[in-house]
Amino acid sequence: MTVFALVDCNNFYASCEKLFNPELKDKPVVVLSNNDGCVVARSAEVKALGIPMGVPWFKIQREAKHYGIVAYSSNYALYADMSNRVVEILSGFSPNIEVYSIDESFLDLSGFERQGYAEYGMEIRQRIADWLGLAVCVGIGPTKTLAKLANHCAKKQLAGENGVCDFTRLTTADLTCLFERIPINEIWGVGRQLTAKLEAMGIKTVRQLRDADSRMIRDRFSVVLERTIQELRGISCMDLEEVTPDRQQIISSRSFGTLIYDLADLEEAVASYTARAAEKLRQQDSLAGAVQVMIRTNVFKPEVPQYQKAVTVPLPEATADTRMLSCWTRRVLKRIYRAGYGYHKAGIALLDIRPRANQQFGLFVADDHARSRNDRLMGTLDAINGRYGRGALRLAAEGVEKPWQMRRGNLSPRYTTEWDGVAKVRAG
Amino acid sequence: MPEVAVIEGPGIFIPFPDAPKRPLPLDEVRISAGFPSPAADYEDNRLDINDYLVRNPVSTFFFSVEGDSMQGAEIFAGDILVVDKSIRPCHGQIVVAFVDGQRLVKRLYRRNGRVALLAENPLYLPLEIREDQELLVWGVVIGKFKRFGA
Repeated sequence: MTVFALVDCNNFYASCEKLFNPELKDKPVVVLSNNDGCVVARSAEVKALGIPMGVPWFKIQREAKHYGIVAYSSNYALYADMSNRVVEILSGFSPNIEVYSIDESFLDLSGFERQGYAEYGMEIRQRIADWLGLAVCVGIGPTKTLAKLANHCAKKQLAGENGVCDFTRLTTADLTCLFERIPINEIWGVGRQLTAKLEAMGIKTVRQLRDADSRMIRDRFSVVLERTIQELRGISCMDLEEVTPDRQQIISSRSFGTLIYDLADLEEAVASYTARAAEKLRQQDSLAGAVQVMIRTNVFKPEVPQYQKAVTVPLPEATADTRMLSCWTRRVLKRIYRAGYGYHKAGIALLDIRPRANQQFGLFVADDHARSRNDRLMGTLDAINGRYGRGALRLAAEGVEKPWQMRRGNLSPRYTTEWDGVAKVRAG
Repeated sequence: MPEVAVIEGPGIFIPFPDAPKRPLPLDEVRISAGFPSPAADYEDNRLDINDYLVRNPVSTFFFSVEGDSMQGAEIFAGDILVVDKSIRPCHGQIVVAFVDGQRLVKRLYRRNGRVALLAENPLYLPLEIREDQELLVWGVVIGKFKRFGA
């Protein structure tokens, strides 16, 4: 029998902030999205106050003041490093692991039966608590869908104990009883729209969906939902996706801290996004065959003049060279830019991505010698930035002052990824 | 050599159109013309300061020091501490601890019901942890390093 575990970090971003800052102990903490827009993570204290996920920060100013909620800008460098550490620890518990998101991983536990899955889950939980100071919940089940549901039960304390819930240990009757109390929108892959449609048919609980006619579901919905039903019944239909497939497109886009009117400022932003995307492209050893540039005004302010445009152009030769790519994104930007608008967001996408190994050389473009020199230059660029921090070496086109940069009013230090960010301890 | 050429008529050789390529690994093999290095069999990895200071990289974090209360333990302002969270803190170890909203570096005292954080400088009093006070021992200090401005 296959057995999966889903390990999920509790209140991950907020927990990372609390980990290094003793002043945040027992305080309500939220983490805000880019440009400090919405609440994207909440500490347990904030959840207890009933503040919902995704709410715009400006809308809860009054509660924030009243309860003393501390808001942080997203410190992705910190979260990514802590996430990598969690994954590294998990890799010691199973040879087969799927990193599902920054705070969730699936583990294949098949074959760890003798030790007892729940005990194994406890050990995982304890190790991550001891080594990293982070709390996780572990859900265990014979399918990925059930492991995810078990995780939900562990987190909400519907079943299991000490943050570990093992469905393989429950009897069928117990499971049925439990599933009767869980609404379908808690099932992995059942979103808001699907929930509404299923509820209209009278299917409201996990138990009802599990026991629904799977043929009928396939006909009226999709094979995907039929597969979910199979998984709820304990028939594993989804394997671990151990290797993240290379991305087919790389998008780098962001809202600006303030409205941007000048082409020159937009050019800097676009050059900077291009550089970041190109770096990701080289990381997966691929080339892009086309680029897209998008700009738009603030759609949330209908009273000001609106304009938006996105244009894609194919490149004469696929490349991963930051200079080539930013030359093209800049050309496209110049073509779509219209003066007189206040731009709120810009973005670029690298498209038509293919492995470098399959490179086809253009007839009228750089010769082999120049190409290998360019590759070396980009390798050096990445190596220097890897060593001295992102953006240490960059194209002049990316600008120095970056007036368009994101608003990140309260960003915590990069405690674990930058020497200047290392936390101070007092010997006093 | 049927895959390299087809014979068309007497004495006429035409390259076989679909002949598989046989790449020769010329770049891979470095042939030295001189005497082979006598050290080739003794090559070792160069010393890495990480190996020396860090035992368990995944649970190791760095903190920088402010203040002079740990001088006696050779911990000075500006030093960077190597802190391993995977080590179980014991009596007598130097630890990073969170108390009353502060991050401290002290020597942990835990004997006979007394819990305290001790300084290594006669100018500083021990910090006694009362029953109602919460002490979080964050991690154990296993080393330190410093860079000079030279």
